[in-house]
Formats: sequence, structure tokens, C-alpha cells
Amino acid sequence: MSPHENRPREDGLPQDPQDMKLMIHALVDGELDAAAALAVERRMAADPELAAEHARLVALRGALANVPRPAVSDDFLARIAAIAEVKDPEVAEATQAEDMRVEAQPSVPQQQQGQVIAMRPRAPRWFNSFDWRQMAASIALTAFLASGATQWLTTADNGADSFAVAVANGHRRSLLAATPVDIVSSDRHTVKPWLDGRIGVSPPAPDMAKDGYALLGGRVEVIGDRPMPALVYRHHEHLITLVAAPRQNEAKSVPVADDLSAGGFLLVHWTDDAFSYWAISDAERPALDDFVARFRAAIIANPAAGSPG
Amino acid sequence: MSEKMLAARFAEVVLPHLSDALSLARWLTGNQADAEDVVQEACLKAHAGIAGFAGGNSRAWLLTIVRNASYTWMARNRPRSVVAVGDLADLDDVSPPPDNDADSPEAVLISKANSAAVEAAITRLPQAFRETVVLRDINGLSYREIATMLGVPQGTVMSRLARARGLLMTELGGRHEPA
Repeated sequence: MSPHENRPREDGLPQDPQDMKLMIHALVDGELDAAAALAVERRMAADPELAAEHARLVALRGALANVPRPAVSDDFLARIAAIAEVKDPEVAEATQAEDMRVEAQPSVPQQQQGQVIAMRPRAPRWFNSFDWRQMAASIALTAFLASGATQWLTTADNGADSFAVAVANGHRRSLLAATPVDIVSSDRHTVKPWLDGRIGVSPPAPDMAKDGYALLGGRVEVIGDRPMPALVYRHHEHLITLVAAPRQNEAKSVPVADDLSAGGFLLVHWTDDAFSYWAISDAERPALDDFVARFRAAIIANPAAGSPG
Repeated sequence: MSEKMLAARFAEVVLPHLSDALSLARWLTGNQADAEDVVQEACLKAHAGIAGFAGGNSRAWLLTIVRNASYTWMARNRPRSVVAVGDLADLDDVSPPPDNDADSPEAVLISKANSAAVEAAITRLPQAFRETVVLRDINGLSYREIATMLGVPQGTVMSRLARARGLLMTELGGRHEPA
């Protein structure tokens, strides 16, 4: 067989039209790597049928994103949170005894009171046990945003996990602190020199306020035993921390974002030129992915902002 | 792990995903009130098993428990409505949408569909298709996570997703109405 006869198969995509449609779905779902995505886009450009399928899928995704999501009522939230309440052993025992008596004689009112206590114990105490605002914000956004953003089909490597946890801890600490940044400025010409002066390295810091991601400022994170620059962006009520680790020579390149989570936060990890980036937020994945895409685009559009300082 | 640590972990791993949990349970059971009962049961199980949660995607972990709780709940409370999950022979009877007539006006129709119509269309999907499309398009899980959760190969997830979306597109795009 000559190479020319082989040509249609060169892009590695399936010939079967039905299978090719699956590839379109995978493209819309962000499940393809860059090379495969490009190949599918080329096929689409040449085939109006595939392009129409793509248009319908994008439309459907938009329609599904508008389906209202069930609200989590305060009452329900308190009920669920009460599950994890640390029980006083005596109360627990008493409750158990009450429950048993209820089964024996279900009509005595006193025992019904015991039931009520068992169902909804001490919600107010629970509210103090951790950062309530942070959780409320993440629930509100979960309720607000439906899915549909890209998720990348890559495997998270285990070596990255402890780093991810450290990044998550830093992000959590910043949410609890009086201010999430050490230097408050939306101007990279202020943030970059400050970071340069402190730790001798500063990542690109484009201001993307017009895209809905305002640069709040920067801070220094210490991860492992190394200080690293971190940028903080605000997106609606959510903060996005972007940690930029100067790329090590031996570090493998991660061209596409990794799908990770740590400590209840979502992370996206990727490598561009001089830095390995870790974006973390309690925002939902679509918002975080959108941030990453815009950040990368901003660096490409303005390489001056992208010099490693 | 102390009870206090377990409580903190529960607050961190489970509580942020309650909306997702309710949404999945609602689509699987078909109504909101039942969804709350199912999610409460699922959260009890999640709390019991939280010490064994190895990290990773906490949302996928919780949703797996919610899915199992939903089917257990339905088998107990509405045994007649439970369809055999994963019975591929049944699914083959559902014909794929027609391939012709692929014009962009249809995409416009789909995107204009109001949410009531979209909800109705999702409700009418066969169970296995519905759960796949809800997990992907409403809960935002990846193919890999869905495959793990349903215990099927990723290719099966892809084909169910394509069939489910095909049915939705047909319905919302107006092609199901005889001219």
C-alpha cells in the first residue's frame, strides 16, 4: 500500500461516521488532547454534517446549562451537617434508649420530643465549627453554575498530589486571613517588581478585569522549602489563587490542564514556558477552566507580561 | 481518626457538593422531596465511610454514593418503576436519532428551548441514558469518572452520552413533530 492510499487515516481518527460523532462529543466535552482536538476540528471544517452536529451539541449544552438546579435550603443543610456532629456519649445513649421506647409505644408525646432532638441536634454549634462563609459561597456557586466546561482527560500523577495539597492549604489560609494578598494592586507593574524584590522571581500577571477576573494582588507562598509567587484574582465572590512555580529542568511538561482536587478545592495545573502553574479556587470547574483559558490567552497576546522577571 | 476530625472532613468533603447531590438524586428519583430523603441517606453512608475516602475528587465520590442510595431507595419504595440498570439489550431498542437534515436552524431551535421543555426531555430519557447525560452535562463529571462510577468502559459512557444527547436534540430541535 502506498502512503497516499493511507492518507485519510493519517489523522488517526475513526472512519466510521458513528464513531466520528463520538469524537465530536469528546471534543465538546474537552476530553481530547490538543492534537486530537485539532484533527477533529480539521475534519469538521471539511464536513458540514460534522460541523452541524457540533453546532447542535453546543446548543444542547447551553440549553442544559439553563436547567435550574435544586436549591439547598438552610434547613436541609443543617440537617445534613448535623450528621457529622460530635455526639455527647450520654446524649447519644439517651437518644438510643428513647428510640427503642418509641418503637415499643409510638404514641407517647415525650418520646416524640426525643425524636425531634435526634433528627436536628444543635445546628447552631455546628455553624461555629468551621468557616461558614467559605462553605456557603461554594454551595451558592455550585447551585448557580451548571456544568459544561472542559475537563481534561489526563492522569494526575501522584508526585503532584502533595504539592496540590500544599497549594490548597495556602489557598485556605489566605481565605481565613485578614487579607488574601501581601501586596494589593491590580497593576502588574506594581505586583511584579514587589515579587521580584522579595523572592527574585515573578510570574506573568495580566489584569483580566474586562474578562471578569480582577487582579487583587500577590503574595508569597512557601511550598515545601521554597518561596513561590502567588497571584490572587477575584471572580464574582470567589478568589482564585494562581501559584507559579519556576519550572525545573527535569520537570516534565504538562501542556494541558490537569484535573485535580485537594482539600475540597478544585485545581488546574499546567505548564507554560518558564513556569508551572497551579490555579485553585472554590469556584466551580467551568469558571476555573475559563480563567485558565483566558490567562493563557492573555500571556500569548502580551508576551511582555509573560517574561519570567 | 477522632470524631472531631471526621466531622471536619465531612464538612469539607461532603457539604460543598450537596447541590450536585440533590440534583443527581432528583433526576434519578424524579422528584425533589424524594431527592432530599435520598441525599440524607447517602450522607449518612458518606459519614460512615468518610475515614476510607482516599482523597481525589470528592464530588465524584459523593455522587457515587448518592447514585447507589437512589437505586436502593427506589427498589424499596417504588419497586415497579425501577428499570434494570445496565441492561444493554433494552437500550438497543431505542433507535438512534436520524442523521440527515443536519442544518443549523435546528441548533437555534435547541438553544431556544425553555428549561421546562429541556427538563421534560431529560425526564423522558431511558434511565441509563438519563443518568449518563445528567452526570456529564449537569454534574460535570469527566468520562473517566462516570465510567468508574457506573462500572462500565469509557466507550460505553461515550456511546450512551451520544445516544442520550441525540434523543434530546431530536426532541428539542423539533424533528419529532410530524410536519
